[in-house]
Amino acid sequence: MAATFFGEVVKAPCRAGTEDEEEEEEEEGRRETPEDREVRQQLARKREVRLLRRQTKTSLEVSLLEKYPCSKFIIAIGNNAVAFLSSFVMNSGVWEEVGCAKLWNEWCRTADTTHLSSTEAFCGFYHLKSNPSVFLCQCSCYVAEDQQYQWLEKVFGSCPRKNMQITILTCRHVTDYKTLESTGSLPSPFLKALKTQNFKDPACCPLLEQPNIVHDLPAAVLSYCQVWKIPAILYLCYTDVMKLDLITVEAFKPILSTRSLKGLVKNIPQSTEILKKLMTTNEIQSNIYT
Amino acid sequence: MASRYDRAITVFSPDGHLFQVEYAQEAVKKGSTAVGIRGTNIVVLGVEKKSVAKLQDERTVRKICALDDHVCMAFAGLTADARVVINRARVECQSHKLTVEDPVTVEYITRFIATLKQKYTQSNGRRPFGISALIVGFDDDGIPRLYQTDPSGTYHAWKANAIGRSAKTVREFLEKNYTEDAIASDNEAIKLAIKALLEVVQSGGKNIELAIRRRNQPLKMFSAKEVELYVTEIEKEKEEAEKKKSKKSV
Repeated sequence: MAATFFGEVVKAPCRAGTEDEEEEEEEEGRRETPEDREVRQQLARKREVRLLRRQTKTSLEVSLLEKYPCSKFIIAIGNNAVAFLSSFVMNSGVWEEVGCAKLWNEWCRTADTTHLSSTEAFCGFYHLKSNPSVFLCQCSCYVAEDQQYQWLEKVFGSCPRKNMQITILTCRHVTDYKTLESTGSLPSPFLKALKTQNFKDPACCPLLEQPNIVHDLPAAVLSYCQVWKIPAILYLCYTDVMKLDLITVEAFKPILSTRSLKGLVKNIPQSTEILKKLMTTNEIQSNIYT
Repeated sequence: MASRYDRAITVFSPDGHLFQVEYAQEAVKKGSTAVGIRGTNIVVLGVEKKSVAKLQDERTVRKICALDDHVCMAFAGLTADARVVINRARVECQSHKLTVEDPVTVEYITRFIATLKQKYTQSNGRRPFGISALIVGFDDDGIPRLYQTDPSGTYHAWKANAIGRSAKTVREFLEKNYTEDAIASDNEAIKLAIKALLEVVQSGGKNIELAIRRRNQPLKMFSAKEVELYVTEIEKEKEEAEKKKSKKSV
């Protein structure tokens, strides 16, 4: 028990342990009623990450990479990274959708957990028809902390193969970049890389300096790969424009020369045109310009 | 490489650029295309109609505006900036008429708009206007005029010009096709404007808006039907020209 400045007595949490009488009280409060259990289960069901097959829309029985052999996996997280892969990689070959991940959390714009529109945030998985061991993931939805482990399990499985290479692309706001300089003087957008111990190839940009902090799903994937000794590299684009932006997407271009994407990109000028079109279609709805 | 601070406000960069003004010109390119043609007895303004949301009232999205009875303009770029510039220009037109008892000349009002735009490239805490304008009209002497202004505050007289998205393509078309024959009659000048827009407008005539002014006549806005008539005529002419070509080659 503790007294506040205003004289009220509050129950302060005590790390030294609780007294016996208080323990009994707490236990009573802690005992779960059937309703509590029901609510908890409902919430867990709502937040479940489901990986669905494309044609049948049924759930995959095993994880994606256990079902399909994979030598190369490129993951784009966030709308700018997704736009980059759409214009430069997906337009240079024939990609077949193998499945999609459906998940709901508070960041979703709809309260309907079953009929998530594919035009809004989505997470699709594709493989190259000419080389089905090359996989691509376009993830434009936010995967919450409690769902990241489920996502990894459904995609990679509990015992992943080590003979594949993972490349992750994502964006963060430049204010997340830890530096002594002021963010106004940084030449954003700029690219930084972070790789696992087993990734031996050179990165096409400088490595992320200490404190090299990464967040959300990209961090989860990278940690997973580090633990399971899978070679993986994260290309992180720091930008000052978080919405879909041409200059930010073009900042990913140095990656086209790396081993991860070599051979997957054919016609760069055409891809640039496709990217510009993608930008303009997004702008038509706005009334700012006439 | 430009250091960061001269991108945020309008001051010179070490190599002599005004980045904010150049960025304002990029904002102009985000607006839909507008084309202006100066004929012998007519001035034509054609614009690509912006796609309007379903529930939006189409009448409130206008790219062609009258500044006075004898002057009108089309703009491309930031809608809100255009509204402010047009309001100021309209007030100036009336103020001029009341002060000197003469309507403004096209060149006068263009110079006024250009001076206004230039002021905003030299004031602290302000950004340039993100619009380019095509101003057309007839002066008292009966000569048709077409002027273009841009965010830097410069203005020039043109025989034909285009602004906005794909302006370069339209300008190249005009350079090839603006001949004395092409503007010989009013109808030919109107068709030239529509043909220029059809180069870049998707889904044809229903996305084109046209306004003309003939000497000593008020501004006329074409209805969608009238534009369609011209578009049909142009397509017919194109077909006939192609038939002739194929006959010749045979």
